[in-house]
Amino acid sequence: MASVVLSEAEKVYIMHGVQEDLRVDGRSCEDYRCAEVETDVVSNTSGSARVKLGHTDILVGVKAEMGTPKLDKPNEGSLEFFVDCSANATPEFEGRGGEELGTEIANTLYRIFNNESSIDLKLLCINPREHCWVLYVDVLLLECGGNLFDAISLAVKAALFNTRIPKVRVLEDEGGREIELSDDPFDCIRLNVDNVPCIVTLSKIGHRHIVDATLQEEACSLASLLISVTSRGALTCMKKMGRGSLDPESIFEMMETGKRVGKLLHSSLQTVLDEEENLGTARKKVGFLG
Amino acid sequence: MLTSRTFLKRTRAGAVRKIVREHYLRDDIGCGLGGCALCGGESRPALEARPGGAASSLCPGPHFLLPDTNLLLHQIDILEDPVITNVIILQTVLQEVRNRSAPVYKRIKDVINKQEKHFYSFTNEHHKDTYIEQEKGENSNDRNDRAIRVAVKWYSEHLQKLQMEEKVQIILLTNDRKNKEKAVEEGITAYTCEEYIKSLIANPELVDRLASLNDEGNEIETGRIIFAEHLPLSKLQQGIKSNLYLQGTFRANRENYLEATVWIHGDGEEKEIIIQGLRNLNRAVHEDIVAVELLPKAAWAAPSSVVLHDDENQNEDDVEQEEEKEKSLRTSSSNSMLRPTGRVVGIIKRNWRPFCGMLSKSQIKEARRHLFTPADRRIPRIRIETRQASTLEGQRIIVAIDGWPRNSRYPNGHFVKNLGAAGDKETETEVLLLEHDVPHQPFSQSVLSFLPKMPWSITDQDMKCREDLRHLCVCSVDPPGCTDIDDALHCRVLENGNLEVGVHIADVSHFIRPGNALDQESAKRGTTVYLCEKRIDMVPELLSSNLCSLRSNVDRLAFSCIWEMNHSAEILKTRFTKSVINSKASLTYAEAQMKIDSPSMNDDITTSLRGLNKLARILKKCRIDNGALTLSSPEVRFHMDSETHDPIDLQTKELKETNSMVEEFMLLANISVAQKIYDEFSEHALLRKHPAPPPSNYDILVKAAKSKGLEIKTDSAKALADSLDSAEFPSFPYLNTLLRILATRCMMQAVYFCSGMDNDFHHYGLASPIYTHFTSPIRRYADIIVHRLLAVAIGADCTYPDLTDKHKLADLCRNLNYRHKMAQYAQRASVAFHTQLFFKSKGVVNEEAYILFVRKNAIVVLIPKYGLEGTVFFEEKDKPKPTLLYNDEVPSLTVESTTFYTFDRVTVNIMLDASNVQHQKIRMALVEPKLVGTSVPSQATQLNSNNEPKKKKLKE
Amino acid sequence: MAGLELLSEQGFRLDGRRAGELRQLRARMGVFAQADGSAYLEQGNTKALAVVYGPHELRGSRGKAPHAQALVNCQYSMATFSTAERKRRPHGDRASAEMSLHLKQTFEAALLTRLFPRSQIDIYVQILQADGGNYCAAVNAATLALLDAGIPMRDYVCACSAGFLEDTALADLNYVEEAAGGPQLALALLPQAQHIALLELNARLHQDHLPRVLDAATQACRHLHALLDRVVREHLRDAAALLGK
Repeated sequence: MASVVLSEAEKVYIMHGVQEDLRVDGRSCEDYRCAEVETDVVSNTSGSARVKLGHTDILVGVKAEMGTPKLDKPNEGSLEFFVDCSANATPEFEGRGGEELGTEIANTLYRIFNNESSIDLKLLCINPREHCWVLYVDVLLLECGGNLFDAISLAVKAALFNTRIPKVRVLEDEGGREIELSDDPFDCIRLNVDNVPCIVTLSKIGHRHIVDATLQEEACSLASLLISVTSRGALTCMKKMGRGSLDPESIFEMMETGKRVGKLLHSSLQTVLDEEENLGTARKKVGFLG
Repeated sequence: MLTSRTFLKRTRAGAVRKIVREHYLRDDIGCGLGGCALCGGESRPALEARPGGAASSLCPGPHFLLPDTNLLLHQIDILEDPVITNVIILQTVLQEVRNRSAPVYKRIKDVINKQEKHFYSFTNEHHKDTYIEQEKGENSNDRNDRAIRVAVKWYSEHLQKLQMEEKVQIILLTNDRKNKEKAVEEGITAYTCEEYIKSLIANPELVDRLASLNDEGNEIETGRIIFAEHLPLSKLQQGIKSNLYLQGTFRANRENYLEATVWIHGDGEEKEIIIQGLRNLNRAVHEDIVAVELLPKAAWAAPSSVVLHDDENQNEDDVEQEEEKEKSLRTSSSNSMLRPTGRVVGIIKRNWRPFCGMLSKSQIKEARRHLFTPADRRIPRIRIETRQASTLEGQRIIVAIDGWPRNSRYPNGHFVKNLGAAGDKETETEVLLLEHDVPHQPFSQSVLSFLPKMPWSITDQDMKCREDLRHLCVCSVDPPGCTDIDDALHCRVLENGNLEVGVHIADVSHFIRPGNALDQESAKRGTTVYLCEKRIDMVPELLSSNLCSLRSNVDRLAFSCIWEMNHSAEILKTRFTKSVINSKASLTYAEAQMKIDSPSMNDDITTSLRGLNKLARILKKCRIDNGALTLSSPEVRFHMDSETHDPIDLQTKELKETNSMVEEFMLLANISVAQKIYDEFSEHALLRKHPAPPPSNYDILVKAAKSKGLEIKTDSAKALADSLDSAEFPSFPYLNTLLRILATRCMMQAVYFCSGMDNDFHHYGLASPIYTHFTSPIRRYADIIVHRLLAVAIGADCTYPDLTDKHKLADLCRNLNYRHKMAQYAQRASVAFHTQLFFKSKGVVNEEAYILFVRKNAIVVLIPKYGLEGTVFFEEKDKPKPTLLYNDEVPSLTVESTTFYTFDRVTVNIMLDASNVQHQKIRMALVEPKLVGTSVPSQATQLNSNNEPKKKKLKE
Repeated sequence: MAGLELLSEQGFRLDGRRAGELRQLRARMGVFAQADGSAYLEQGNTKALAVVYGPHELRGSRGKAPHAQALVNCQYSMATFSTAERKRRPHGDRASAEMSLHLKQTFEAALLTRLFPRSQIDIYVQILQADGGNYCAAVNAATLALLDAGIPMRDYVCACSAGFLEDTALADLNYVEEAAGGPQLALALLPQAQHIALLELNARLHQDHLPRVLDAATQACRHLHALLDRVVREHLRDAAALLGK
């Protein structure tokens, strides 16, 4: 995993700061860094989003492709996740270097997003047992500045919000079924992302916990708790990370903080997305040029 | 230059994919107007600043026309008329046309390229002010209509801004009511095509050329639905995918208008489906690509042997009568003859072209609607609307089909062009050239500009890479009157006792350089077409009859193939070289034969000829031993009256030994060259192959021979050749020739192909593993390519890109094969026409004939004296029908009490049937053996008197 | 259905460009803070992101490293969503391995590697959206990233593709034009000295046409050079202005 090496003195400096609720970059323990969100940055995808959280830079592309439903869920479509930890982020990821981390993140994403409560998978079914939409959610990690999971979850949610799936009609004929595509490019399905959760990672530093840790702060933290929260504050998933240990009390504390911060995070993301949406075609796309 | 860009999103069916393409909008696209101050100077202004064009009562001022897509697709004939000028063709329209009809697209492109038409193609989709994006709820058709309107508006504003002294209008031409309404709402002047054309003051005749489309709506109420609806293309494609329907090319039967076959071009396996009956044919026209549904096995039919022509005077609404006839198709046929039968459910692609033919004027005097009868029997009659019926009567005209409504017995069409009086030799030649798609316009200036400047002489530059063979005793042997001599020969004894034989071919590729206009034109023509009294040259005359013709006693450039042979004609060495020769004599076959035969002659030329002849005999024997076929087809020559150019006599071609001598060496040269170019260019050698026919093709031959007690083996070419040789019938010497004629009919067509695109090279007829055409570059384009390949192979010339592009070569082969086939048909049609002329002057004659084929209600006979083939019908209108009994196993036909077998000798009465001006034809009637009721008296005089009233009719 | 008409009679390509015109080029240097150099570049709809690390000490086995000069290490990868049909993996397939090798060869010809013996320069290029000319966009982006990293080079490396259609040489092919299957030439040029760093031609092209296609590609590269130069100068001006404040 992308990390930095800190000297003992640096670590003590960071820990003392956290103790005082004043972090190195001036934030308090429950503050997120300034996040930039932009959707529709890759035009040949069904939906895409770029999230920049401090130095963490994530690009997510969603591609809708036609596939067959899984046997046990004949009338549902599905999401497929792939995380590419690009060598762009750090030379360590060159070759197959980023695969382990990528798989770990992808597995977490499966657990959090690919279920009935987050996305209406039935909407992705075209005709039961034969055709459904498979949404390939591809995450590209471009720069790594700490708190990967949170940034990725924000980007995935934004990309899903941006996703437009072409509407198709199934024509039944004696000769079999034929799928017809609508001639009108505006005729498409949008996903409801209200119940899509976000990840909030809480890192234990000293006796306190912080959200949105930078790389340096991550180096000081021995254990962290990853929770996924919906916009209504419901907690859908939880996972302890890191080699240190956490005591039960602090877990409950962290959950509470997570819910509180998560709700805020959702509402501010939604505001940004809605603003963008309202601008419509008048929005100037910045992408990597700004 | 690039101002902005937007995205076009497209999704394709199948796997749904989001495709993003850039779309640059520009500000440097001009309006095409000559001297437009706003767009800057156009390098080649297409539109006139003061548009001329026909005066219209609707808009008297100067104006530009802007047609929409459907208008362009349907009314291209109008747009091609010289009267219509100054038209703006939008890119939107052009692209739609391109997707919907390749022939119309080609035609409109030709029109745009004609400077005097002042057509301008405006790239509106990339113009910053005229590009529009598809809006919500709008389908692509609506969007394109809107794009057209936006462009019209831009033009009118643009023209206003120019502030010309005289206001120039822009007129949208559309037949779409909705689009027109919207346009008028937006303040655009819009007319339908009809409105506009009818408003042209000085050109009322143009109305005839309007495609008749809007009639359909009215007729639905009145007319009865005859045909089943065509399924939409999407349904057809689905059906084809699920094997419910089959896709194939519709081929109408020339002899029977109620029957057609559809060639299914599926995966490797080709099969044929029979379609019988008007309703099942369902408005398909010859050459259309159609979708066919197979009928249940119980409804399968056998290919009928009935000859049935669409009657001239039939009441067109009389569909019941038609059904009667359809029943006659399915009389007694054994189960073994049943073939898959189907019905047409939809048209995938129409292949309509303009058709030549004549008008059958309606009986009603004032009628504007008339039926048109195409010269090609496979094309149905077409209903057209014209006011000039009386002028067009008796003229050969061209008509285009516009559509075929469900309630109409015939398709609707419109008049395109008048060719001239029927029966007139010029007109008829034009018709048969047009009908066979033979390019016959005089060579254009740009083509002629690539000819060498006269006087021409051989320069030192030409002599590089060229051998001087002027000292050799070369001579040419050709049919009399030949001016395009492309081959010459020599033979001499070498010091080592071996023989040196040279074949020298005109070096046409020296004069025709790849890629220039001359080359393109020759490639397009593909072959010289020989008609009875006219030659349509592939290359301009200067080359064909002068510079490339290997005439005697002049220096000519040649491409030589030189062998060293021993006296038993075994090739010891082969070499190819470009050369200069000086032919010592241009002989005819007869002259050459005389020289060889007369012992007193001993000059160089004669010795050379004798040597060649001796070798040729050995070569021929070898070839025949290898299984090469000697086939026969009667060829006819006309003796023309030198002043009237009417045929005065007719005789079959006579073959001399010298014919076969020249042929042998040409074959040898072709084979040697084929091997050489294939060795050098395994992927892109242009070769010629002759596939072995499928065994079933020989059925007729085997059966016919059997009826005469002879056995023909067809398991290999060699077996066939041998059994043909042994098939002698002492009392009937002509039988062998007949068998060979019949065998020829069983053969497949030989074709050109590119060696990289095929792996079967065998030439069945010549029993050669590889073959090509090298020896007639003056009259065949294939030979020019072969010359170029060979020249590169021996390092005498340089290569060029298209020569080594196998796809381009394959395309070229396709064209050449097509042109050769068409040339052959045109030639036959020309012979047929001259035969008619001949019998017209000759009157009625009785001749001896042999039966070639036996049909259900007729026999096909061959008259050896004229090499003429004809059909004798046993059923005639207004006469009691004789009882006919057809046995297809033998095959034989019993009429009353007389039975006819293949090869039977009969006497027929030949005369020109001019009762039908539309289709003059040679009519044959049986004289002997005599039949009750059908045979005509053998005295011709009597018939002549019968014929007279008809002739009078003609003069009226 | 007729195939696409790649070049209209009026001389316009499918996307509205004329034969010799380039696609719109937009670029930005210094996209990332953590890398030593980075750049983002768009050539039409082809979007590439290049990152440079180094020169730094050798990583991994020293065996393969050259002694007297720096090791140029390249990795080319394409985002899984970059193509119309989703890719299964971003790199490691044969095509991208070849592309990585091409990049390495190109930049070994341009970088002054002798200045950094026993060290390594990493060039990582990521294609975010692919619409033809991927190699060229990768080279151009990497050039900017190297300039951003301040690694000494002989010259800019400008790359552009060219094709040949109906007797016309087309510059800077897009995906549709590439997919049509005609001849395709990729040229990487050091424009000032006119040195060719890489030249690759696929599909058949007749020798007689080569000069024209090569000429079209060279012209396009020179044009690109001017554009890239402007991007660099603007970046420097902005950076200087920031420093000045």
